[in-house]
Amino acid sequence: MDCYTANWNPLGDSAFYRKYELYSMDWDLKEELRDCLVAAAPYGGPIGLQSAPSCWTVLCQDRVAHILLAVGPDLYLLDHAACSAVTPPGLAPGVSSFLQMAVSFTYRHLALFTDTGYIWMGTASLKEKLCEFNCNIRAPPKQMVWCSRPRSKERAVVVAWERRLMVVGDAPESIQFVLDEDSYLVPELDGVRIFSRSTHEFLHEVPAASEEIFKIASMAPGALLLEAQKEYEKESQKADEYLREIQELGQLTQAVQQCIEAAGHEHQPDMQKSLLRAASFGKCFLDRFPPDSFVHMCQDLRVLNAVRDYHIGIPLTYSQYKQLTIQVLLDRLVLRRLYPLAIQICEYLRLPEVQGVSRILAHWACYKVQQKDVSDEDVARAINQKLGDTPGVSYSDIAARAYGCGRTELAIKLLEYEPRSGEQVPLLLKMKRSKLALSKAIESGDTDLVFTVLLHLKNELNRGDFFMTLRNQPMALSLYRQFCKHQELETLKDLYNQDDNHQELGSFHIRASYAAEERIEGRVAALQTAADAFYKAKNEFAAKATEDQMRLLRLQRRLEDELGGQFLDLSLHDTVTTLILGGHNKRAEQLARDFRIPDKRLWWLKLTALADLEDWEELEKFSKSKKSPIGYLPFVEICMKQHNKYEAKKYASRVGPEQKVKALLLVGDVAQAADVAIEHRNEAELSLVLSHCTGATDGATADKIQRARAQAQKK
Amino acid sequence: MAAHLSYGRVNLNVLREAVRRELREFLDKCAGSKAIVWDEYLTGPFGLIAQYSLLKEHEVEKMFTLKGNRLPAADVKNIIFFVRPRLELMDIIAENVLSEDRRGPTRDFHILFVPRRSLLCEQRLKDLGVLGSFIHREEYSLDLIPFDGDLLSMESEGAFKECYLEGDQTSLYHAAKGLMTLQALYGTIPQIFGKGECARQVANMMIRMKREFTGSQNSIFPVFDNLLLLDRNVDLLTPLATQLTYEGLIDEIYGIQNSYVKLPPEKFAPKKQGDGGKDLPTEAKKLQLNSAEELYAEIRDKNFNAVGSVLSKKAKIISAAFEERHNAKTVGEIKQFVSQLPHMQAARGSLANRTSIAELIKDVTTSEDFFDKLTVEQEFMSGIDTDKVNNYIEDCIAQKHSLIKVLRLVCLQSVCNSGLKQKVLDYYKREILQTYGYEHILTLHNLEKAGLLKPQTGGRNNYPTIRKTLRLWMDDVNEQNPTDISYVYSGYAPLSVRLAQLLSRPGWRSIEEVLRILPGPHFEERQPLPTGLQKKRQPGENRVTLIFFLGGVTFAEIAALRFLSQLEDGGTEYVIATTKLMNGTSWIEALMEKPF
Repeated sequence: MDCYTANWNPLGDSAFYRKYELYSMDWDLKEELRDCLVAAAPYGGPIGLQSAPSCWTVLCQDRVAHILLAVGPDLYLLDHAACSAVTPPGLAPGVSSFLQMAVSFTYRHLALFTDTGYIWMGTASLKEKLCEFNCNIRAPPKQMVWCSRPRSKERAVVVAWERRLMVVGDAPESIQFVLDEDSYLVPELDGVRIFSRSTHEFLHEVPAASEEIFKIASMAPGALLLEAQKEYEKESQKADEYLREIQELGQLTQAVQQCIEAAGHEHQPDMQKSLLRAASFGKCFLDRFPPDSFVHMCQDLRVLNAVRDYHIGIPLTYSQYKQLTIQVLLDRLVLRRLYPLAIQICEYLRLPEVQGVSRILAHWACYKVQQKDVSDEDVARAINQKLGDTPGVSYSDIAARAYGCGRTELAIKLLEYEPRSGEQVPLLLKMKRSKLALSKAIESGDTDLVFTVLLHLKNELNRGDFFMTLRNQPMALSLYRQFCKHQELETLKDLYNQDDNHQELGSFHIRASYAAEERIEGRVAALQTAADAFYKAKNEFAAKATEDQMRLLRLQRRLEDELGGQFLDLSLHDTVTTLILGGHNKRAEQLARDFRIPDKRLWWLKLTALADLEDWEELEKFSKSKKSPIGYLPFVEICMKQHNKYEAKKYASRVGPEQKVKALLLVGDVAQAADVAIEHRNEAELSLVLSHCTGATDGATADKIQRARAQAQKK
Repeated sequence: MAAHLSYGRVNLNVLREAVRRELREFLDKCAGSKAIVWDEYLTGPFGLIAQYSLLKEHEVEKMFTLKGNRLPAADVKNIIFFVRPRLELMDIIAENVLSEDRRGPTRDFHILFVPRRSLLCEQRLKDLGVLGSFIHREEYSLDLIPFDGDLLSMESEGAFKECYLEGDQTSLYHAAKGLMTLQALYGTIPQIFGKGECARQVANMMIRMKREFTGSQNSIFPVFDNLLLLDRNVDLLTPLATQLTYEGLIDEIYGIQNSYVKLPPEKFAPKKQGDGGKDLPTEAKKLQLNSAEELYAEIRDKNFNAVGSVLSKKAKIISAAFEERHNAKTVGEIKQFVSQLPHMQAARGSLANRTSIAELIKDVTTSEDFFDKLTVEQEFMSGIDTDKVNNYIEDCIAQKHSLIKVLRLVCLQSVCNSGLKQKVLDYYKREILQTYGYEHILTLHNLEKAGLLKPQTGGRNNYPTIRKTLRLWMDDVNEQNPTDISYVYSGYAPLSVRLAQLLSRPGWRSIEEVLRILPGPHFEERQPLPTGLQKKRQPGENRVTLIFFLGGVTFAEIAALRFLSQLEDGGTEYVIATTKLMNGTSWIEALMEKPF
């Protein structure tokens, strides 16, 4: 107790730390703790020790990933929830540890290498054994991979130790290679790639077609065809013999197919060529051999040879290439910036531009814009020179990339080449080039786009600048005016003001006088503003008319006060009519004089109003007040309209000679009309009267007219 | 099927089917039962594309008209708004959606913009907080709607006003888009001609749009040989005059809407004995007018004066056909007669309808006022007394005839005189304001802005030159068996159609001087075709011209173009497209402004 703080260790000025023993442990451990996997839980939880797995791998079954791990002699299968022990069927006894495991390229097969030098090969489901092999080498291999080929029944595993490579399969013996250097195995779809410091090799099962053709003393049709072609080149008649032999067996088609297929599996262009030559030679003797397979093989090999070239270094086999597809291969070339080769391939294969050349050029351009040491000008020009109007290239995508790299100016230059305004404008807005966006939107004619930019600009600029911008863009200005007409009337006024557009300002205030103002004073005031605007616009007529309207409004108001009834918003004409109908003839006269209603219209007006009133007495008085400026036919017409034939007849007699016939017909005096017409010797009038002659009553009149006509003709 | 669309030189059913397909595809995107909320203006044009049956096939169960407040109740999964891209409509939609949200069970909302999606509208919906409520926001590019075998219209009412008064080119953009759609279906049109400012813009837009589409090489053999774009303001005269063809007169008097006309029912009363005329139908009679009806196709474009004789001839043929039954002796003959009955009865029904309509029209055309109006119109068009105040117009104002009629006449006089003398113009204007009310000053301003009404500048009247060069007035017109397009107005040959006629033969070079007087540039553009698509014309094979009237076209002009198409040695057949089918009345009406 005397020095309780003895095991206290200071850290800094104010803190101490101490460590004291909980238990002394006496575990019966076979391995050192460092060889174990340790799991311990907090809150004084238990401690678990587990010796580390000697090897493990990922299995994939039914789209679920499992882990297979080996600990000592046991195998466990883990998934996201459980861990279960598994035993491979037919596993040789005596295994105390698994040293390597390998899953095939297709995840279908599994190989296990045990510490006894025994290799178990079976399905990845661990339900079936395919074969086993004892290599008697107990040293742990460096690598073990499967070597198989799609659609081949053969299964083999390649095991690599430091200096030894062994191929084992379902056979009592194995193939062994010596490795000169440290090597690494890459499992492939159809074989194994082996590379070291100085070499790069491919190990695979010889494909069936190649085997048939090149196997020693093969009599397969392909082999014979290849032989035949060689003989043919030597100008030997043996060519014919071989060919005959194939043909007699009816195997020429098969022979050609074999040669084509085998060519695909050859790595050396010379060998490819001689096989293809043989195929081509064989084809000559076939009537209907579809050319596609031959042509495609030639094209594919050309592409493959190009990418296999050591400058590029993509050692694809034919099967891999077919599995990979040309699109993915192109993507890989593009990622490696091998643009010219990619484009050559596209052009050679005649891929549609949108999938091929355009796509690659677009990638190239996106890369190009990242070259910061080249000036904007040069980059933009270079891109446009290469891309031109290539279909399917989106300049806006490239511009967006340039903008992403902080090269706004370049982005703008590139956008110049973008024909789709729908793409161009939003990006320009994003880059805060609103004014440029506006002119681009206007160019496109897409008004919706223009509106979008306008509203953007409106928020971005202060009002004065915004208006100035509009001023320079008449189309945008008129669109914005339309917008304001419906949405922001006050702004509309400001716009007209800014442009000194007094004519429109006048109209604006007229609208306001109807829409916004209720009280008569307010309306008159609005009209006064309108009139002032019209004067400024030098529209004398409109200004005067507006002043007249103000006068009329005030007057109508007074009439309503004095006489009652509705006068407001009647036209002048209707106001006068209403006054006459109400019997206020004096006032009507006064009004007509004040506003200088032309005489003719006033006569019509009075005539109509009095007839409406059926005030025939007043009408007659009016008709005699002075000589009618509209003649007397309207009087006849209007009386007849009110079905007053009696009154009508009074006026018919006063109708001038030109319209007399018409008037008489209106009042139904056919006989007299006929007389007048005959007197006028007017053919048109005669026909008119004749057309009015109906039935028996007018029979005599009709005869009379006919006689007059006949007489006229005689003369 | 709309068989009448496929009778023409160009099968417009292809277009109709294409737009129907697009509609079906959209409806199928919104799985489950549906209600459509209609922007009312769209229902007419849509009727020509898809009847209710098509919508029903795609689970459309209810249809409503777009109105404020909440939507009527409907037990459906989807609610789809069919609207034009207009801000005021977006406000209503937002109101609908918000009140629906409060109601409870959520539905799926969709919006279909016709003819184009609009960023502006979507922004408005976003501001109103409802943009996220819509699952599908799409556009339905119904620009050009097939009306008949040779007729397409955008039915855009405001197009003329927007383009020529308000500087709003939206409808031109849609026109260009519509033309691109046509080219996608019927091949690139190798030659584009045009006259007028708007025509120039549409052509520019087309060329631009074509550039946007590079890559998708159009490999369709071109059906149209050329395209003629015409501004309405190149020919302001024609629509002002009263149309004198059968169809034109129906439109002038009763107004044709989306190929339907509503007529007073009296003349169509079923003529059955014993009814005693008690139950006269009171609802207007609605008739569809298109070439699907054989008889209508035959008479629609004739001068009205020639219609009577055709109808009576037809009547004779039909009654003779019915008389045949007395001659049918053998069972075979009777059978044959019976088999023809349905066709004959249809023909008789059609004849009865046509005769009734003809009678209705005749009541109007034989009236004295109609005659007087026509006389004045014809005087103006032939250049008589256009420079002084006209008595008849004065009397019309004094008697308060319809304002539109007066405006049509005054404008006609102004156009036929290259503007009125200031004194005459002011007199008319004053008379109109005093008689019809001061508020019409706004309408007068609009007419002046559109160039329909204007003071003569420079004291020069160009109209006589134009009239003489283009032979717009023909004294010896044959209404029964016409030899010239002037029959459609009984003397006046529509300027627009004359331009088209002269373009096809001998070419516009012969009338350069007049073209310079008419407003706007004239131009020609070529759209190169790949060699494989170039046409080798067979001898005697007619060219096909698509003529697009920007700002509207009248039925009389259409009749005149059809007349040219049918000429044996004409050499050109026309397909007509327009922003709107219109007449002088609907035209002026669209330009009028009523502040209250």
